[in-house]
Amino acid sequence: MGNKQTIFTAQQLDAYQDCTYFTRKEILRLFYRYRDLAPQLVPLDYTNHPDVKLPYELIGSMPELKDNPFRQRIAEVFSEDGEGNMTLDDFLDMFSVLSEMAPRDLKAYYAFKIYDFNNDDFICKSDLEKTLNKLTRNELTEDEVRMVCEKVIDEADLDNDGRLSLEDFQHMIVRAPDFLSTFHIRI
Amino acid sequence: MTSYRNGGFFNPAYHDTETLEIDRRASSKTHHTNPYDNEDPTWWGDRASNDAAIGRVPQGGWQEESWRGRENIPMDAISIRPRSPPRHHGPNHSISGMDPEYNHSRSIPLPSSSGNMTMRWRGIAMRRMSMFPDADHTQTAFTEDAIWNEMQNEQQNLLEELAALSTRDRIKAIRDLPMSFKEKKHIRKELELQSSRKSRQFTCLADCSEKVSLFSRKCGYHVKSAKQTLELWQGAMKSIGGKFGTSVLTYFVFLKWLLMFNIFSFLVNFGFVTIPLLVYKHTPNISQNVNNVPQNVTFRGLEILTGVGYFNYTVMYYGSYSNETLVGYNMQLAYFFTIAVYMVLCGISLIFSMSVNFKNNYVLADSASNSAWQLLCTWDFSVTNEKAVKQRRNNLCVQLKESLSETAQQERLTVSEKLKHYGIHFGCWLLSTSLAFGCAAGVYFVYEYEIETTNIANWSLLDEAKTLLVPFVVSLINLVIPLFYSLFNKFEHYSTHRKQIYALLIRNVFLKMSILSVLCYYWMKKVPDKGSCWESTVGQSLYRLVLFDFLFLMLGSFFGEFLSNVIGTKLIPRMGVPEFDVARNVLELIYSQTLAWIGIYFSPLLPAMQILKFLILFYLKKVSLTHNCQPPRRSGRAAQMQTIFIFLLFFPFFVGALSIVAYTAWSLTPSEDCGPFRRLSNSFSAVDVWIGNLKNVTGSQWVVEIYNNVIRSEIFYFLITLIILVIIYILWQVTNGRKELIRRLRQQIVNEGKDKSFLLERLQDLQKSLPNKNTKQKKQKGSMKQHSDDHSSGDQSNSNAMVQALLARQELEEEERRYSIGGVPVPSEMSNSSPLMQAMLARQLADQENEDQYPMHDENPSSSSALAQAMAARNRVEDEENNQYDVFNRSSAVTQAMQARRRAEDTDDDMGDLPHPVSNVMMQVMQARQQAQEDDRIQWMTAPPQNPGPSGSSALIQAMLARQEAQNEYDDGY
Repeated sequence: MGNKQTIFTAQQLDAYQDCTYFTRKEILRLFYRYRDLAPQLVPLDYTNHPDVKLPYELIGSMPELKDNPFRQRIAEVFSEDGEGNMTLDDFLDMFSVLSEMAPRDLKAYYAFKIYDFNNDDFICKSDLEKTLNKLTRNELTEDEVRMVCEKVIDEADLDNDGRLSLEDFQHMIVRAPDFLSTFHIRI
Repeated sequence: MTSYRNGGFFNPAYHDTETLEIDRRASSKTHHTNPYDNEDPTWWGDRASNDAAIGRVPQGGWQEESWRGRENIPMDAISIRPRSPPRHHGPNHSISGMDPEYNHSRSIPLPSSSGNMTMRWRGIAMRRMSMFPDADHTQTAFTEDAIWNEMQNEQQNLLEELAALSTRDRIKAIRDLPMSFKEKKHIRKELELQSSRKSRQFTCLADCSEKVSLFSRKCGYHVKSAKQTLELWQGAMKSIGGKFGTSVLTYFVFLKWLLMFNIFSFLVNFGFVTIPLLVYKHTPNISQNVNNVPQNVTFRGLEILTGVGYFNYTVMYYGSYSNETLVGYNMQLAYFFTIAVYMVLCGISLIFSMSVNFKNNYVLADSASNSAWQLLCTWDFSVTNEKAVKQRRNNLCVQLKESLSETAQQERLTVSEKLKHYGIHFGCWLLSTSLAFGCAAGVYFVYEYEIETTNIANWSLLDEAKTLLVPFVVSLINLVIPLFYSLFNKFEHYSTHRKQIYALLIRNVFLKMSILSVLCYYWMKKVPDKGSCWESTVGQSLYRLVLFDFLFLMLGSFFGEFLSNVIGTKLIPRMGVPEFDVARNVLELIYSQTLAWIGIYFSPLLPAMQILKFLILFYLKKVSLTHNCQPPRRSGRAAQMQTIFIFLLFFPFFVGALSIVAYTAWSLTPSEDCGPFRRLSNSFSAVDVWIGNLKNVTGSQWVVEIYNNVIRSEIFYFLITLIILVIIYILWQVTNGRKELIRRLRQQIVNEGKDKSFLLERLQDLQKSLPNKNTKQKKQKGSMKQHSDDHSSGDQSNSNAMVQALLARQELEEEERRYSIGGVPVPSEMSNSSPLMQAMLARQLADQENEDQYPMHDENPSSSSALAQAMAARNRVEDEENNQYDVFNRSSAVTQAMQARRRAEDTDDDMGDLPHPVSNVMMQVMQARQQAQEDDRIQWMTAPPQNPGPSGSSALIQAMLARQEAQNEYDDGY
């Protein structure tokens, strides 16, 4: 294993530490996790910013994400190209937001993006249906899905526009204290 | 088109306009913007092409015009302002409705809302920043320039704001920005450049401070990573969370937390009490004054269970501690203060974590939004085990189905069923309470029996074994009865899972409290009269209880979990694998911690045992969990449960333990011939003696004074209590006030949404009823078009109300300029972000005029209402074409407003119309509003340019006031 200094420069490490919630050690650990996904693709030297992107198939096969019903959405939301292919930066970004240290608002923002399947900045009924189907594997009948979605919107939609905006979502998150602990992936 | 865009929403009109989005973006979407906007173009493009495919409906054409018209604005009315960049990524969404507002907010300094403004800037800056990588190449060069400038500006603003912060805050702020790493890095670099530039300019002092801050930051990182290395059981926690989810993890977190308490307690006790004793007095002796020290005490093995015999002569118990002053170290005071300080610190940390937890998990928590919570917040992202994921899915399914059926079920309950439920509840409560009492009585009699039959004089092995009876019975009760209580769940029906858990908790707490109170009664009342060194005897009983509790916990996880797993999987598959009962397990922890707290006075090294116990328990439970249990089917709100557990730990358990210890220290006479407080009337008098000694020491008179006048005076405590009560009362009132405020604001949001949807519906109706106006408008617009860019009509979202409004205002200004009636003031730019408010204002103004018949006011374009002006302008266009009044002859508020407006504005037409009867509540609101603003109106009449257009930040408040007043007046009126 290479010395710390050969992977990142001190400046790079500082930048990572300043922009994520991770310590130096965790950053290196995450780097190795990232590299382990595709040792032949990821160089051990990141000092000259190599342009490496791991395809979604590899990212989604991580044990932390493998069984997550939202893994594809997570990868899409955090990847720069929006298709789930991640650079190391995206990778760190993702786990930074999902770490314990990230504040509620930041988590809520990204959770909102994850649930917003059609990227229209609102969680509308179709998004909720998708969420529900992902969570229950289509085990509910259509009627039940519709009722649940209606109930959700009825409860969380403050301004009665029939869909959840980020504010509605955040408002709900504030009242659901578990969110902080559940929207959390331990590394 | 409408149906395409708005799918299944209940009110198409509401969603049909961009106003909503614009409004949101402008007003509220401040902190969180979309750094991944680059995902948008696909959608927008999709939509655009779809629009195009369907073809332009008349509205669309009109819209197109409005786009062009809109572009005039920066040229004349607000030409000084920078050109605004596109909000959306579609090629033709080059100018959107929100931007003028944004510009307004920049051009009009609003001191009251400066904070919000910067936040808004930041929000916008972020959005722009995020657009940065893929600036639209389809834009004209001019717009691209504008975008660039705008982005630079906003980034600059963000940077300035960040630069103003201290290094630490800055880093925190950067971290919290919802942007991708690349953007964060960019900002960070910019900031570093700035600061380095600055430091070059200034002295080396700044340089130095920069270095120091950098150094401290690095130190902070090192400390952080060191702390992480020391973090206990990180991997274990991860695997538990991954397999069983957060709610089970709560138990282990709680266990760890208690372990920390005990480690602290052990360190304190060992460091301040035991070590000095061991160092200066090598043979801890139970009593120098007592002659019956058995010389033949050997370690026989049973002591490990009973804690008597050999242990009596170690530092384990109170009795072995000396009352001497060892080389200036007063053992009495050390013992007293160590325990006192430990208890106080425990209390403080409990209260603190309770308050933090309560604030985070309870105050804001709302039980109403159950489904939303279940769907969007319960998914545990930390679960990584395939089986667990599957199980969770099933559980969620079941829960959702239950919650759907529950609501239906509850309505169907008949009276007799309800009575039956109440009867069962009553029976269960009665049974559980009597069980608890019975158990307490049983413990009492067993203790009685033990005391009566044990002969202290000739201590035989049998006698020693007899002492195990009480802890055995107590632990057995603690093991069996809770299981029995859980059986009640089979008969009882609670409407929610939460109620069920609470009932179970209350019953268990009651049981444990009654047993503990019987034991304490014995220790406090009976034991002191018995043996010579009664504190050690109590310590021994506590030792036995702690030990047996541990053994039974192990047995419990064996029988309760392993056996039922075997039964469930092998023998009776119907029973299934047992669930891990978090509540019961946590209560067990709380109980054993209570024992340790009570024991701290009698056996200062009990925390050491507790540490061992918890360490073993952690691994035991982990193994038992992974092998025998399945995650609980219904995951309650784990965070709230944790708060409840901490609360329970504090009250009644900690408070009970504290009062027992305090009672012992203040009221009970310590034994005559052993322990640190021998020959004192009570433990606290050690302090009295110390103070008495201090009197002779010069220079410490003030301590004595304080002690006599403050600590010992009732008035002092009385005052403290009074002050605390007053503070609590004030805070209580503040809380209530805020709750009320929250309720009202929420209502306000709902009302606003309703108003908005109503207005937009009307607007759309109007648009539909006037299909021919587009051509007309086009014609008129053609004359004053300044930009003749060719717009492909397909891409614009139809019925963008805001743009329409702006266009209309533009038009109005144009015409007014043309007619030059009086000095036309520049319209006061409302920076309020809600077109709705503008619309309301417009209606209000219109009503005002309608009622007061002051048509001349309306020549004043500064009525600051975009929507109303839009209406008016369109009306006028309409008039010029049709010259007929009765097009809008409806009794709706909007129409009335429009009519009033039109009538007022049409200089060629006489006022023929009569005011329409006010037919709905909205109109009432408006009237009230108008009356409320009577003063303003007068002012307005005299000085038209200073219109009552509210400043943006207060628009909402005004609206609220208006609504309030309207409500009042409405009530009064009817």
